[in-house]
Amino acid sequence: MSEYKHPLTDAEFALNEVVGFDALCAENGFDDINSELASVILTEAGKFGTGVLSPLNVIGDTQGVKLTEKGVEETAGFKDAYQQFAEGGWNSLIADEAYEGQGLPNVLGTAVNEIWQSANMAFALCPLLTQGAVEAIAHHGSDELKQTYLPKMISGEWTGTMNLTEPDAGTDLAAIKTKAVPNGDHYLITGQKIFITWGDHQMTDNTIHLVLARLPDAPAGVKGISLFVVPKFLLDENGNPGARNDAHCVSVEHKLGIHASPTCVMSYGDNEGAVGYLVGEAHKGLAYMFTMMNCARQAVGLQGVAIAERSYQQALEYAKDRLQGTKKDGSRFSIIKFPDVRRMLMQMKSGTEAMRALALVGGAAVDRAARATDEAVQRKEQARLELLTPIVKGWITELAQELTYLGTQVNGGMGFIEETGSAQHYRDARILTIYEGTTGIQALDLVGRKTLLNKGEALADLLAEIEETVVALEGEAAFAEQGKALREALNAGQEARTWLLENAEQDPAAAGAVSVHFMMLFGFLCGGWLMGKSALRAQALLDAGNGDPEYLKGKLVTAQFYSEHLLPRTKASLDTIRKGSASIMALSEDQF
Amino acid sequence: MAILVIAEHDNSTLKGATLNAVTAASQVGGELHLLVAGEGCGAAAEAAAQVAGVSKVLVADNAAYAHQLAENLSKLVAELGKDYSHVIAPATTTGKNVMPRVAALLDVAQLSDITAVESDNTFQRPIYAGNAIATVESLDPIKVITVRGTAFDAAAETGGSASVEAVAAVHDAGISAFVGEEVAQSDRPELTSAKVVVSGGRGMGNGENFAILEKLADKLGAAVGASRAAVDAGFVPNDMQVGQTGKIVAPELYIAVGISGAIQHLAGMKDSKVIVAINKDEEAPIFQVADYSLVADLFEAVPELDAKL
Amino acid sequence: MKALVAVKRVIDYNVKVRVKSDNTDVDLANVKMALNPFCEIAVEEAVRLKEAGTVSEVVVVSIGPKACQEQIRTALALGADRGIQIETDEMPESLGVAKLLAKVVEEEKPELVILGKQSIDSDNNQTGQMLGALLDMPQGTFASEVKVEGDKVNVTREVDGGLQTVALNLPAIVTTDLRLNEPRYASLPNIMKAKKKPLDVKTPADLGVELKAHTRLLKVAPPAERQAGIRVSSVDELVDKLKNEAKVI
Repeated sequence: MSEYKHPLTDAEFALNEVVGFDALCAENGFDDINSELASVILTEAGKFGTGVLSPLNVIGDTQGVKLTEKGVEETAGFKDAYQQFAEGGWNSLIADEAYEGQGLPNVLGTAVNEIWQSANMAFALCPLLTQGAVEAIAHHGSDELKQTYLPKMISGEWTGTMNLTEPDAGTDLAAIKTKAVPNGDHYLITGQKIFITWGDHQMTDNTIHLVLARLPDAPAGVKGISLFVVPKFLLDENGNPGARNDAHCVSVEHKLGIHASPTCVMSYGDNEGAVGYLVGEAHKGLAYMFTMMNCARQAVGLQGVAIAERSYQQALEYAKDRLQGTKKDGSRFSIIKFPDVRRMLMQMKSGTEAMRALALVGGAAVDRAARATDEAVQRKEQARLELLTPIVKGWITELAQELTYLGTQVNGGMGFIEETGSAQHYRDARILTIYEGTTGIQALDLVGRKTLLNKGEALADLLAEIEETVVALEGEAAFAEQGKALREALNAGQEARTWLLENAEQDPAAAGAVSVHFMMLFGFLCGGWLMGKSALRAQALLDAGNGDPEYLKGKLVTAQFYSEHLLPRTKASLDTIRKGSASIMALSEDQF
Repeated sequence: MAILVIAEHDNSTLKGATLNAVTAASQVGGELHLLVAGEGCGAAAEAAAQVAGVSKVLVADNAAYAHQLAENLSKLVAELGKDYSHVIAPATTTGKNVMPRVAALLDVAQLSDITAVESDNTFQRPIYAGNAIATVESLDPIKVITVRGTAFDAAAETGGSASVEAVAAVHDAGISAFVGEEVAQSDRPELTSAKVVVSGGRGMGNGENFAILEKLADKLGAAVGASRAAVDAGFVPNDMQVGQTGKIVAPELYIAVGISGAIQHLAGMKDSKVIVAINKDEEAPIFQVADYSLVADLFEAVPELDAKL
Repeated sequence: MKALVAVKRVIDYNVKVRVKSDNTDVDLANVKMALNPFCEIAVEEAVRLKEAGTVSEVVVVSIGPKACQEQIRTALALGADRGIQIETDEMPESLGVAKLLAKVVEEEKPELVILGKQSIDSDNNQTGQMLGALLDMPQGTFASEVKVEGDKVNVTREVDGGLQTVALNLPAIVTTDLRLNEPRYASLPNIMKAKKKPLDVKTPADLGVELKAHTRLLKVAPPAERQAGIRVSSVDELVDKLKNEAKVI
């Protein structure tokens, strides 16, 4: 099977035509940053993804990781790849220039990150987690903490991990039991954390763990959790790794997928207690986690785009090569000629392109919210960002399950055989709807915090913006059908919003019961919105004689397919939403 | 005007490529002279005089031309070349090294690696790695050309009786010097860049039997590959695997021995210029893509092929 | 010591080439372009010489339309210090390219001029050698190893029979072959720095060079299609076909 190849043309189209990268940079103080630079960066990152990361993807899946006396040993070859990655400066793309980051826009980071995740998701989880740790320290740590840890974490010389989950506390983070006890200028942490991604490895000289723990006098529940920095190796007076801290990986999980990403059980304080340093103020740990939630959740959404794309590339290659039909003259033809195979490929193609556009729009929302100078504008951008995040994470990762399933289906019997590679993408995708907040949590977040809490105002704003695109489509004869389809989907969104606002109060189970359908409705609606925008832009470029006509004509057809095959799901979702919670909740537990 | 062909030789005999260049030159039409330049190259000059179709051999025998240093040889060829309509050399590394310098000295274009002669000023040559063929017309009074050997038959080595004339001109630019050479590396070429690949499949039976393929490969200067079946069976290491999940190759010549031709293997070699398949199973799918199919027992056919090459 | 590296914008080597239906040329419309792989190796060699302290400045030059600035920027991102674009919309023939480069060499006075041995579009393998002739500079073509020793450079060349090493007086021309080095991946910091490195644009007129066409492209055709194969009945027949029909041995 061929190595991963970055779909540069589509990424550039989404970045330039849907997000409007040049305007975003100009309006938000990103001087000297423009689409030309973005193209160069994406091109070079693409080469690295194809040449260095992709060749390790299968090896990572088959060899996985081992826990030995040394600690966790990652797949052979990963260390060298990681060093090249860090030396290439890729770890520092969006980081603050004050700490030698490149300070590039978040949306560009999203576009580049798609390459790492698509080329080798297990590998790319390492820098992804480091990013989370960097943000925690950068946003909330003291200057001393930042100066001590950020430079090497941003360069990639050290990696980082996020330690939240415990055996009894997953979705319910308030239930964590890990303790932090004051001890001079630091704290001693004891407890066990599970599902810690890249919790240990041999690729770098140090790993910096961000750990949620309770102080002795902490209030109960969510308001009693604090955040600590717990380095694998304590730093000596020169800031270099010295003594081993009492933080160890005690086992690695045997998982369905992402085998090369060590999923660790971390034990803190088996002996004297792990030395930890408080990040920010006491008892603010969960609040800090919330500030990072947008980026963390969107990163997982982006992984959905990436794995769907990878699965699509593999399926497409197979469909072009696999001969399973005989013509009258005896010659054989490839399965891509069969309408149903073609349908599956179009589903994957249109789904992935819509998902990519949404992930980038979400990534750009981070930039807009962070850089808005006017208060009113900042509030609006922030609200938009908060609204998009659960859709990006929840909808994209759910659709990615369907698309990777189709990838395997296109391969027929060989899809079930590991060797063709499709099975790995199917398995790797499975975690995406689970970690960083399950689909259910994303959906609850969307209906609760992001809709009911602001009385649907953020959603109304979004629907109004979508309507602009509907009107534009309706205004062109060539797009009459697409305009009609998007209008119907928009109506479904508006009615779902109305239903939720009207019924949530009377029926306490209503919001939860309809939440996932609600999220998927808005996901497919947003996808249709952005594909509609894409179609309008593609036509405009074709009319002006700019760009690659083959690609642009393909985009028009893909957008049409989306509106015919995926957008109608919004109507079905509305039907179900209107039925509320009755048949969901009516059975007693014993009747199951 | 006459045509000057620059001979490639090892001082005692002419290299085969010279004979192909002579054929190309004869297709251009006109009197054919051969230049033999080197140090102690008298025997090569005599051999040149025997080549059918050559009327004159020019010999430039001097230390300055030992090892065919481009800086010196090009000056000689340019000086002689100005009296010819065409200056032609085989597209060997020597020809490619020297002839562009000659062309620049004569202020004319150079046509590299021609594969066909359409007239005395129009030639075909491959571009884009042979994915397209260009027909080019030269507008220059002197055409400086290198010839792809495999595109032309070899001229007869005997039957000619050319006069031999010594060339006195000594051009020693003095800016370059030969230091040393390492001839015929013992390592086989790399699989993905080899011009010829010989691959074995499950039909080989075991790893030791790959020795007969290695012998053939050595004869052909080829790399040795294998199908996934052979690798899975433990016959050979996996870095030899050619196929969808192994290496993709596109050599000039691919010889598939005892390989059935599963789609996954074909994906790795279907762009080879010429595909030969040797398999005792008449129904083997590999025969669908092979240019030349030999249904035979590989343990007889391969040694026979090795002997007859 | 200064190194001058000439680079060319060509079709990306992964792209499947298609001949135009009117047979006038290859179809390059909207096709992905890239830095010629041999030129990339040339840039890498120059940058390594700089990192080793042998070369103090790497200047990269490219001849072509404005779009070739992309390739110059790539070379700058790989570590070259400054770039020169000689703007022409019509791609000159190798002799024309050599004449333009000769002028640049006269101005820049590099000790080493490094070029790819050939570009993967025209596959000519001429420019470096022609440049050597125009400037009376020695050449080490198809280099698999380059070692500067004092006022000379030793170049090991890949030749038909194996390897040959020549010692060239500086200033000298080197053309790269595939095994000379493996180019690095551009790092993000270097990509960012490259934006600010100087890139001068000149025209052939600025250099006092008048470009002339020495050839005319009459036709471009696809190669002969893969015909259906044949059964051979013996090894003798196979050998005969391979030698005389396919001409691959």
